[in-house]
Amino acid sequence: MPKYDAIIIGGGHNGLVCAAYLARAGKKVLVLERRERVGGAAMTEEVFPGFRFSVFSYVVSLLRPEIIRDLELPRHGLHILPLESTITPLDNGDYLGQWNDHDQNRRELARHSLRDAEAYDEFGLMLHQMARAIKPMLAMAPPDPAALSFGELTAMNRLAEHFRALGAKRFHMLHKLLTMSSADFLDEWFESEVLKATKSASGIIGTLLGPRSPGTAYVLLHHYMGELDGVFRAWGFAKGGNGAVSGAIAGAAQAAGAEIRTGATVAQVLVKGSRAIGVVLEGGEEIRASLVVSGADPRRTFLGLVGEKHLPDEFVESIRRFRFRGASAKVNLALGELPNFTCLPGRGPHLRGAISISPSVEYLERAYDEAKYGEISRRPYMDIVIPSMIDPAMAPPGKHVMSIFVQYAPYHLNGGWTDARREALGDAVVDTLAQYAPNLKGAILHRQVVTPADIERIVGLAEGNIFQGELSLQQMFFLRPAPAWARYRTPLSGLYQCGAGTHPGGGVMGASGRNAAHAILRAG
Amino acid sequence: MNRAIVIGSSADALIAAHLLARAGREVMVVEGGDSSQDEGWVPPQVVRELRLEDFRLHWPEPWLAAPLPDGGRLELWRDMARSVESIRRLSARDAERWPAFCKRMARLARFLEALYAAPPPDPLSLPFALRARRLGRQGLEDLLRILPMPVAELLDDWFESDVLKGALGAAGVLHLMQGPRSSGTAFRLLHHHVGCPPGVFRPPRSNILELLRRLPRVELQHTEVLRVALRAGAVTGVALKDGRSLEASLVVSSADPRRSLLEFVEPGWLDPEFARALRQVRGRGVVARLRLQLDRSPGFGALALAPSLDYLERAYDDAKYGRVSQRPYVEARCDEQHRLDVHIQYAPFGADCSGLADRVIALLSEHWGDAQPSASELLSPRELEQFERWPQGQAHHAELSLDQALWMRPLPELARYRTPIKGLWLCGQGMHPGAGVAGAAGFNCAHEILRG
Repeated sequence: MPKYDAIIIGGGHNGLVCAAYLARAGKKVLVLERRERVGGAAMTEEVFPGFRFSVFSYVVSLLRPEIIRDLELPRHGLHILPLESTITPLDNGDYLGQWNDHDQNRRELARHSLRDAEAYDEFGLMLHQMARAIKPMLAMAPPDPAALSFGELTAMNRLAEHFRALGAKRFHMLHKLLTMSSADFLDEWFESEVLKATKSASGIIGTLLGPRSPGTAYVLLHHYMGELDGVFRAWGFAKGGNGAVSGAIAGAAQAAGAEIRTGATVAQVLVKGSRAIGVVLEGGEEIRASLVVSGADPRRTFLGLVGEKHLPDEFVESIRRFRFRGASAKVNLALGELPNFTCLPGRGPHLRGAISISPSVEYLERAYDEAKYGEISRRPYMDIVIPSMIDPAMAPPGKHVMSIFVQYAPYHLNGGWTDARREALGDAVVDTLAQYAPNLKGAILHRQVVTPADIERIVGLAEGNIFQGELSLQQMFFLRPAPAWARYRTPLSGLYQCGAGTHPGGGVMGASGRNAAHAILRAG
Repeated sequence: MNRAIVIGSSADALIAAHLLARAGREVMVVEGGDSSQDEGWVPPQVVRELRLEDFRLHWPEPWLAAPLPDGGRLELWRDMARSVESIRRLSARDAERWPAFCKRMARLARFLEALYAAPPPDPLSLPFALRARRLGRQGLEDLLRILPMPVAELLDDWFESDVLKGALGAAGVLHLMQGPRSSGTAFRLLHHHVGCPPGVFRPPRSNILELLRRLPRVELQHTEVLRVALRAGAVTGVALKDGRSLEASLVVSSADPRRSLLEFVEPGWLDPEFARALRQVRGRGVVARLRLQLDRSPGFGALALAPSLDYLERAYDDAKYGRVSQRPYVEARCDEQHRLDVHIQYAPFGADCSGLADRVIALLSEHWGDAQPSASELLSPRELEQFERWPQGQAHHAELSLDQALWMRPLPELARYRTPIKGLWLCGQGMHPGAGVAGAAGFNCAHEILRG
């Protein structure tokens, strides 16, 4: 008898969520994490003395509320502080502010376009309805449309039923969201360039696509699906950084009896016949278990840890063509003083929210053009937060940490990533931002630049893709990560996948981990 | 008043007219100023029902030639073996994969073909699901995966030769304001593959118009429609440019949907929200046409200058910012009289096309040997709008992208050819399946009318 019911490869947030659910169901679970701490890309690190950063993922919104509830994450230390605004500085010294306060937001939009202020509520309502239409699918193991079993046919029918129940109007709107570019989609609603740009920016996050690329409207919706305390599309910080999210989930898993080993690198999945029977660690230690669940990305899991020879050719082919193409980077700054934005001087409430460098759709599209041919965007899109404004414990008194999410920095950079290219990316980011906040350069005490190549090296995400695989229509739902294998199972019995490379994908949602656990428990 | 008036003289319009006439309606065709189209696949049902016995589809042989960087040409033939032979000179691996690729694509094109000869399906209905399942596991997975893909990714999955990928990828963006890296362009490759033999990825030409014009029973009026006359939300006839009015209880328009509903119909008859949605239908012209007379054969039937997917993508980049491509994708077809019809993409509507003709002639002259052009005429999208009545010069009326295809074409409310105005129907290129398919929209529309 193996000692464990299940081994989870990788202590990222999905692996931990899966472990927690399995442990709560009475399974004996072991989580193996390569690094010295859990969390994967959801981690906090004191990069410079006294300055703590959410080095990779940096905000919370998409984490499924049912997970927060089921695992009682607040009891394990999760405390989310809301982000209240987004401002977009403009080259002419003006800015666009979007505020959580409805009236304030409306007044601000009206300053840019009366028509947009009118359309905004209707747009919000529409996206809200669309998010609600998609929501039940997030917790669903995608059915296999080509299977003939009664169960699968019923599942397909239920899905069709769900869409029929939306009514024609909403179904057609959903069709548009799935197939349009975010820029075209927003053109139908708004006229203000900066509003369209800032909204369409959430359609390009994590993908090597521009706002004019079809498919980005769905990514926009994906980022709209966040829910905090019952409020749709609210974004927030975890107190203590995103490591606190992983920490809380790990706490819940351990409280339920799961064992977590860090510094334990899985070298190989042990396969006997067509069954996974355990893992081999680097150093040779073998651990047996009835089930192996991989939280690693599909490429690493199947082409690395399992090995092609144990898998059917067609499946291997699907995994090989699964696209990653990381395009996002992070720049983390330790600041001696707050940035002083020309458009909103001084210390104001805007510094407690997000700052978006997205002055126009064309600006974003041009940034993409450079990346599409393998270059760093000279004037990149940035999503910036200053966590120390909300959680002062992140930086020494009077000092600050700034987290800058950057696009585009293509993984497949012409000539490859070097230290010099990494610094060039950092310079492009700081130079661009300094145009809006001139004191920035003088305020920087330390700078950390994390490229997609770094993300791959440190966290293990293939090509540094933050979603464990592009969130494009051809890689979603029943096709994620491979047709016929989107239900968390794999061609090897006893081997499951629970990472964001499965439906519904990334963004610190935890849904993949939860769905995988349910699939495992259902299978008995 | 049982008269039906059909607006337009395209294949779609004439087919709708003849089908209505055969069903006993008195039909009058008013040439709406829009032009004839003899390009594109014609559904066999049309040929059967109208008994067009001499009907022929044709492709040049080879159906496409593409120059290679170091001289010579890639030649793609209807004969698979000859194509394989030609591809082998570029890449043995690609040559080996070509037949399998063609087979996989042909299966999906056949699936689309069945959808094209009928009004758009209800995607959530059981018959549609059953039809899709008949593709089998691989076919269904291909369908779900490939339709939304960028054509560049699809081709990268299969092939390594830039010239081959460029030549095929161009079919993914024909008349589209998107580049080969845009999602949904793989669908376009399949769309233009419908009705073609396996291994042919360009729409055919046919003699459909010539045959239709020879058919009896339909009266032609050489004038233009100004307005569709309405009473109580229902059609009562049309007002013509020459001052006459004709009474009719049924008007079928092959003009573009926006013109049909927003220009022909007095404002006020349409629900404002619907009118707004209609104005937002995307139909951005991106193609300029060049007509050239040569003094002798250029030595090709069809020649494409699109040497790689990146070349196409860069051509699109210019268009994104409103400029004519510095290095455009150019495709020339030559007829027996040595007349060249040249497709130039991207030339966005409104962009400055001066000098474009000379640039394109210079590009082409490297490939036509000793031939000399005697006369040339360039039509920019603006001129195409003026002469052909294509909105913004967009030949497809509404761009065929996934959000404006099938049950979404051009808007869900119009997808079954019926409009909110009683007695006014649409049958043009902006309708399903439209976009370079000759006659299917007219055929489907006439059947919908007769069914009701």
